[in-house]
Amino acid sequence: MSNKKEIIIKATKLKKSFITGDTEQTIFEYLNLNIYKGDFTVIMGSSGAGKSTLMYSLSGMDRPTSGEIVWDGKAITSLNDDKLAIFRRKNCGFVFQQIYLLDKMSLMDNVLTASALSETSKKDSVKYANELFTLVNIPEITRKKFPSQVSGGEAQRAGIVRAVINKPKILFADEPTGALNSNNSTAVLDVFTKLHGAGQSIIMVTHDKNTALRGNRVLYVKDGKIYGECDLGGYTNDSKDREAKLNNFLKEMGW
Amino acid sequence: MKKIANQILYNLKKEKSSFISFGVIILITALILNCAAVLLRQVDSAYDEKFEELSTAPLNAIVPEVQSNSELEKAFNEAEEVEKCESHTAIMTEATVKDFNGADFSMNTVFYNIDDKRTLNSFELVSESENDVVNPIYIPLYVSNFGGFALNDEIVYVIDGKSHSFTVAGVIEEMQYGNYGSGLLCAYLPEEEFAELADSYSSKTVVEYSMSVKNGASLDKVTNDVSKAIDNKGVMVLSILDSESVKGARTMVTDLLVLILAAFSLITLAVSVFLSNFKVKNAIESEITNMSVLKALGYTSAQIVASITLPYGIVSLLFAILGVGLSYALLPVLCSVLTVQSGFSFDISFDLPSFVCVACILCGVVTFFTFMAARKIKKTQPIDGLRGNTSSKHQKRNYFPLEETKGNTKFLLVLKQMIASKKQNVMLFLVSFVLTVLIAFSGTLFYNVVVKPENFMSALSDEVADVIIYPKSDSVSELEEKFEDDNRVQYSLKYMSAIVKIEGKTVTAFACEDFSKVRNDVCYMGENPREADEIALGSALEENFKIGDTVKVTVDDITKSFKVTGFVQSINLQGELCELSIEGYNSLFAKKQTPFLYVYLENFENAGKITKEYKSDYPTLVADTVNSYKLQKEAQDMYMGITVVLVVAIFAVTIFIVLFILYIVIKSLLVKRRQELGIYKAMGYTSSQLILQTAGSFMPVSMIAIMLSGVLALFYMPAIYQFIFETLGVMKNNIEISFGFLMLFAVAQILVNIIISIILCMPIRKISAYTLIKE
Ligand SMILES: Nc1ncnc2c1ncn2[C@@H]1O[C@H](COP(=O)(O)OP(=O)(O)OP(=O)(O)O)[C@@H](O)[C@H]1O
Ligand SMILES: [Mg+2]
Repeated sequence: MSNKKEIIIKATKLKKSFITGDTEQTIFEYLNLNIYKGDFTVIMGSSGAGKSTLMYSLSGMDRPTSGEIVWDGKAITSLNDDKLAIFRRKNCGFVFQQIYLLDKMSLMDNVLTASALSETSKKDSVKYANELFTLVNIPEITRKKFPSQVSGGEAQRAGIVRAVINKPKILFADEPTGALNSNNSTAVLDVFTKLHGAGQSIIMVTHDKNTALRGNRVLYVKDGKIYGECDLGGYTNDSKDREAKLNNFLKEMGW
Repeated sequence: MKKIANQILYNLKKEKSSFISFGVIILITALILNCAAVLLRQVDSAYDEKFEELSTAPLNAIVPEVQSNSELEKAFNEAEEVEKCESHTAIMTEATVKDFNGADFSMNTVFYNIDDKRTLNSFELVSESENDVVNPIYIPLYVSNFGGFALNDEIVYVIDGKSHSFTVAGVIEEMQYGNYGSGLLCAYLPEEEFAELADSYSSKTVVEYSMSVKNGASLDKVTNDVSKAIDNKGVMVLSILDSESVKGARTMVTDLLVLILAAFSLITLAVSVFLSNFKVKNAIESEITNMSVLKALGYTSAQIVASITLPYGIVSLLFAILGVGLSYALLPVLCSVLTVQSGFSFDISFDLPSFVCVACILCGVVTFFTFMAARKIKKTQPIDGLRGNTSSKHQKRNYFPLEETKGNTKFLLVLKQMIASKKQNVMLFLVSFVLTVLIAFSGTLFYNVVVKPENFMSALSDEVADVIIYPKSDSVSELEEKFEDDNRVQYSLKYMSAIVKIEGKTVTAFACEDFSKVRNDVCYMGENPREADEIALGSALEENFKIGDTVKVTVDDITKSFKVTGFVQSINLQGELCELSIEGYNSLFAKKQTPFLYVYLENFENAGKITKEYKSDYPTLVADTVNSYKLQKEAQDMYMGITVVLVVAIFAVTIFIVLFILYIVIKSLLVKRRQELGIYKAMGYTSSQLILQTAGSFMPVSMIAIMLSGVLALFYMPAIYQFIFETLGVMKNNIEISFGFLMLFAVAQILVNIIISIILCMPIRKISAYTLIKE
């Protein structure tokens, strides 16, 4: 049924290896993968399996050793660094585990620094930023604070606002709740769910089962390939079914 | 100690390359500073040693032979502080040496009889020809080195338009006269040649009284006493030269060099202090966590401060030693250059006190400033440090909030970055401002020497015609008629010069038929003399007389009174001159004097031709001719050459300093902003945008500094030049400050800054968004 959906990213024969000293370590090889529009794709796998590496390759933050990544019919693997940067600003939003806000700028300025790259006028950007801040529950006075003056959860929600301000095709998130306590985590995950509900395509890497439940498609990375995949269906607030399905899948994968 | 030794090694290794660049600056500073120190300590004593060795007389007075008598010598011998007086016959005359370093060179020269017995003013034979040469002459080191005359070369002295050819039979070193600056040069002739020359110029035969003084006597007082003794006998002094003035003139370039070297080493020292200070502060900011871990582990603050400070101390000591070592490779080169100018040779030996001083100063200053910077760590509590809080890290205000501030966001980001690197920008402002002063100075020099050379030359030279013709006596008016018929000649002026005495002071007098027609009006106050009883005095006499005063001028036994109409300057004669009208000049001589003719041409390119023609076509009228346009042109070319070298050197130094400072500032900024730049890249900012943003954050400030300094230069530059020229004895200069030219240099400097910053920001390309996630 997923093949009815529109493909955004098509990765073929992807290979990534690192050379440390004189030994080559292959993270993945002959990896084929499609990412579909509107999906909340979750990437799971044990630590060191190569989840982050895969995600950043797909998003044009890193270059695969070989293979091809095609976005909307355009190969990004052949772009130079500046072209890749321009590609990213139009198509990708990033949320990091360590949040990485610019520490010399207020939350609002962090967001506007990103929007400055889009064609949108500053006035419209400010308006949209305020809408998003409201959406993620960050009150007006907090928007003017510096990252060092807000809680981890607030900072991460601002990070999400910054990531989606330019309406990216895909929002990438690498363990966005990894550094947060459970209350903050829930607030941040609710934002992801809200955005997904509004039609935002998301790719998220996580270790956490509860976090994974937010997605509708779970990929499991193991032994240098997509070891398995599981269709969870749309997120509902209380679904024992989905939880059981995920548990089974993960057991099967050897989690 | 052992505990912190590991930390020191760690700090050294971690920043190897930056310690090396720091070391290089220290090395250069040590090299320059040691050169200055060694020259300062050794040249002077080498000079004094040679002075003693050759039993040079501290005071030498020259009077015309006709006026000399045994009574005079007796008076000298009886003067309280004179130890011994010795007299010798010599010939003193203004002589032009042909092809002296490529040009004709006029100088007052004293010819001595080499076979005279002398106990004072001995000389050292540096080299002597093995051949038996015709017309042998022994020339001083200065003439040989600077003029370019080797053994067995022919050397031609032109005296009163008559050429005398000699062969260099030997080169001597003497401490009595020495170089151009002392105003007198000497040459030694064997008995026979000397007698021949003395016969031809009996009026120029003089007696020189050389006096040694008693220990502890004041040379000033002796000079005064001797002058008075001469005056009392009604004798005219042609020259009275004391060893202090000679030494001043001969070591002037050395002193100047020491001064320049010292100034340069100060600049480099300031740069290295700034550098180490800046690095330490940066290190503390970025390493605060590590240091706090050490603190938490129980290291004391003192140990941590030492581990930061000592590497700088050690590096500066090592490189200072290296620099001092290298300076001994450079010093012999400097010495040989100085020998050419000062006319005496000396050797440099290793100087321990200089070495200790240089090493202590460099090491001490650097350690002190790094220590002051590192002390900050003491005030940080370990727990704050672990959280990454240094006092400066919390920025209270959000400058230019993007939401509220109008304007392009990317531009506002540049402004934000500017504020974030406030301190560096302040520094850059100061450095740019100061360097622009240097650039404006050399730019102005360039403009006035190379673009408009007449501005500069007029300050440096006396009157220059295109051709000078020395007529045979009684043929002046006939020649003047010839000039009137020659349509290549614009006009000619009668000119005369002689040594006269004004109220006891010996000066050179110039007379001209019409001072309003000369090219280089040297009168800076009042007016030139027109009437027979008018006189304009040199700047050296300005403190003794004022306009309207009457002064007595004496030549031999004729004395006349003149009214002072103005003051004139001359760099060559240090202001010791005066101007008279032709009638006034003639009234001082019993015999009629033959003037020489200054010829001004319609087109100076004819100067060479006319010089040759008049000499060959009118042998009965013309004694000699001089292509003075060519002389002037040669001097001008020399100044142009020096200026171009100077301007290029100043530009190179400026670029080097700017490069260096921007390098330090930008490199540390990139290290500090690594993560930030990664975040920007993740957002989709391209490398070129970030390079422009970073480089751009340093440009406005340096542009403003350069422009401000450039515009202010319009006001302060004339004062600087006025000051420099006044110390050289030139009261009035024609130096022009060209606004366009200043701006041209300023814009060039700004462009250089921009290019350098952009190049230095290039490493931003290598910072990838991805690596930031890994860190
Ligand atoms: N720049 C690099 N150089 C060498 N090896 C690297 C580099 N980046 C990643 N690796 C290796 O690649 C493998 C996959 O790393 P990756 O970060 O993708 O793992 P991950 O699945 O995200 O793990 P985690 O869940 O712990 O974040 C690891 O073994 C890691 O050591
Ligand atoms: Mg990871």
